[in-house]
Amino acid sequence: MAGKNVLEIGTATPFKKGYKMDKKTIFFGEVKRFFKFILQEMKPRGKWLTPFNIISLPIMFIGFILLILRFVKGLGYATNLSQEFPWGFWIGFDVITGVAFAGGAYVITFVVYVMKVEKYHPIVKVTVLNGLLAYMFYAGALVLDLGKPWNIFNPIIGNSFGYNSVLFLVAWHFLLYMATEFLEFSPTIAQWLGWEKLQKILKSLTVGAVIFGITLSILHQSGLGALFLMAKSKIHPLWYSEFIPVFFFVSSIFAGLSMVIFEGTISHRVFKDKIDSKHHAAFDEIIFGLAKGAAITMFVYYFFKALVFIHGGQWSYLTDSWGIWYLFEVIGLVLIPCFMFAYGAKNRNLGIIRTAAILTMIGIILNRLNISIITFNWNIPAVYYPSWIEIVITLMIIFTEIWVFRWVVSRMPVFED
Amino acid sequence: MESYSYINIFETKGLEYILLICFLLLFIYFVRYIFSSKKKADENMK
Amino acid sequence: MDRRNFLKVTGGIAASLAATGLQAKEKQNDEEFVGVLTDTTRCIGCRACEKACGEAHDLLVPDVENDNALDNLRTPSEKQWTVVNRYETDVGEVFVKQQCMHCWQPACTAACLTNAMLKTKEGPVIWREGKCIGCRYCMASCPFNIPKYEYGSWNPKVQKCNMCYDRLQQGKKPACVEACPTGALMFGSKRELMEIARVRIYNHPEKYVHKIYGEHEVGGTGWLYLSGVPFEQIGFRTDLGTTPYPEYTKEFLYAVPLIFFGAPALLTGLHFLTKKDESSEE
Repeated sequence: MAGKNVLEIGTATPFKKGYKMDKKTIFFGEVKRFFKFILQEMKPRGKWLTPFNIISLPIMFIGFILLILRFVKGLGYATNLSQEFPWGFWIGFDVITGVAFAGGAYVITFVVYVMKVEKYHPIVKVTVLNGLLAYMFYAGALVLDLGKPWNIFNPIIGNSFGYNSVLFLVAWHFLLYMATEFLEFSPTIAQWLGWEKLQKILKSLTVGAVIFGITLSILHQSGLGALFLMAKSKIHPLWYSEFIPVFFFVSSIFAGLSMVIFEGTISHRVFKDKIDSKHHAAFDEIIFGLAKGAAITMFVYYFFKALVFIHGGQWSYLTDSWGIWYLFEVIGLVLIPCFMFAYGAKNRNLGIIRTAAILTMIGIILNRLNISIITFNWNIPAVYYPSWIEIVITLMIIFTEIWVFRWVVSRMPVFED
Repeated sequence: MESYSYINIFETKGLEYILLICFLLLFIYFVRYIFSSKKKADENMK
Repeated sequence: MDRRNFLKVTGGIAASLAATGLQAKEKQNDEEFVGVLTDTTRCIGCRACEKACGEAHDLLVPDVENDNALDNLRTPSEKQWTVVNRYETDVGEVFVKQQCMHCWQPACTAACLTNAMLKTKEGPVIWREGKCIGCRYCMASCPFNIPKYEYGSWNPKVQKCNMCYDRLQQGKKPACVEACPTGALMFGSKRELMEIARVRIYNHPEKYVHKIYGEHEVGGTGWLYLSGVPFEQIGFRTDLGTTPYPEYTKEFLYAVPLIFFGAPALLTGLHFLTKKDESSEE
């Protein structure tokens, strides 16, 4: 399909070269053609009544209405947030967990553009696209949670810089990282629009963007953990440690890798026709490679957890239900999937690797929610659970992201080299 | 805070170093286990 | 220039030099943080402070005679910046006023990404509406759970005691201190209040527990408490430690520029190291 677009653009080239026309006409002609192209691309393609559409459309519609109500009536209407739980599902799941899963983009760009492991080149574009969209939607979900979102420009344009804040850093890094991710993905957009010269220029910027992006990722992945450093008196000691930032960073590596495995498996089924057969064959090898990477990172992460546990002398905490919950997370959803990844990679068993990826992702979700919600305020009777509106709006965000992803993938040359 | 008694914040260091040694030994085996089928993968890559 | 004049001039210079030297010190003294000392042994639970606070800040003015609010344990809320609680203890009823502690190095101001939460040089921690984006990081960080949020509003405020910052600037005392009929509340610089508190403990060692809550807690607070019973029995957390809360994020924030110096250089190096192989292949 993308090939067709290139052809369409190609037909315009002689028109551009018609040197009898003055520059203005050419310019307006180009603009007109551009908008026509965009309009045409906006049109839906393929079947409308797929199961996914039937489920997602009503939820997105209801979610949108609820979102309006949330801004009119305040956070109390839409959420179960309270004075004891200032941060709930939108921060704990959408932002903190969502961004961890978007970590795949910086890991894969590191491997491909810095380490030059060409094997992973076929998945780099789609991973960057996933990362970009994840940041736009999940980091963007932060805005829904703000009480006075119109003041969001305060920390950005500089009339009120709170340099002392971890959140200041995280917000800035989100912004900058979205820009770098966009830059990394932009050659594909230029290619889609048929702007070859621009594509070349943008491509030459990729390595710089990648290096900047990895640095930003190290800092804001860990920064999301550092947000909770000052919640020392509220988070259960088994989860609180001065090393939360390091844990968040290291776990974002295998969170990202698991997400790439999971998402890749799905899109290779859904977008079968867009992926050439050579790429298909290479994909299994890629998954084995990613599984090895995930296994080693998780192994190191597990021992790091053990070190902090021993240093804290936290044996006595293991006796109650919090302790069992902790062991379930650290052994059941880190160590076991770690061995599953290793076993699957060695014995070339895709099924086990996929199961391990899903277990790892559940582990990451649990870990992030444990720190931000579940063990937060463990020592007071108040509890928080998300309201149905919070969940519907979260689903709306996820579905919208998938819609945009699908739109981009079916139009831009994401799966091609 | 109220007490003025001795606190040793490095009490657990010995245990931590034992953990470290365990880690190093296990890590070698673990990596060797994972990459023992490496040749095959390398061939496919090329 | 005769000798007398010379002396005068040099003396004058020396004096003025000394004065400037002193001035720096004095200036620091001028800006010493103010606070309030709450002596819970003197509190009778009349809740005049709650009433005065509500009146001073256009918040809820409780109907002290009829609302029986003391029957329940309350916390300051988005409608009330201060509340008094009653605790049954070994020595009978003890009343404790609760409000923002006005930490010396507050977690909330370190958390705030717009400086909406501000530690003023006088000592009170204040919140400024025009700056706030409503992220509630201050609430997540505060070890005393003090900032409260107007969840019911489309344009929510963060509500917390500001030690009557406006009144202080007019040279007045905080409204609650002024309203207190028994002298359970005392306003002054933290230095003075610490001395007074120590003197009270020294003079009545049997009446007080030998601890001033707020002296060292989370690095020291502006609001101080004296008690006749162990502080755990009257709703205080004594496990918060003495480290100022911003210290917990200090190392991470230090590491940010470090990583920004190091990581791009390392990555660029790796990029060129691996590039060599590629060119030799070509």
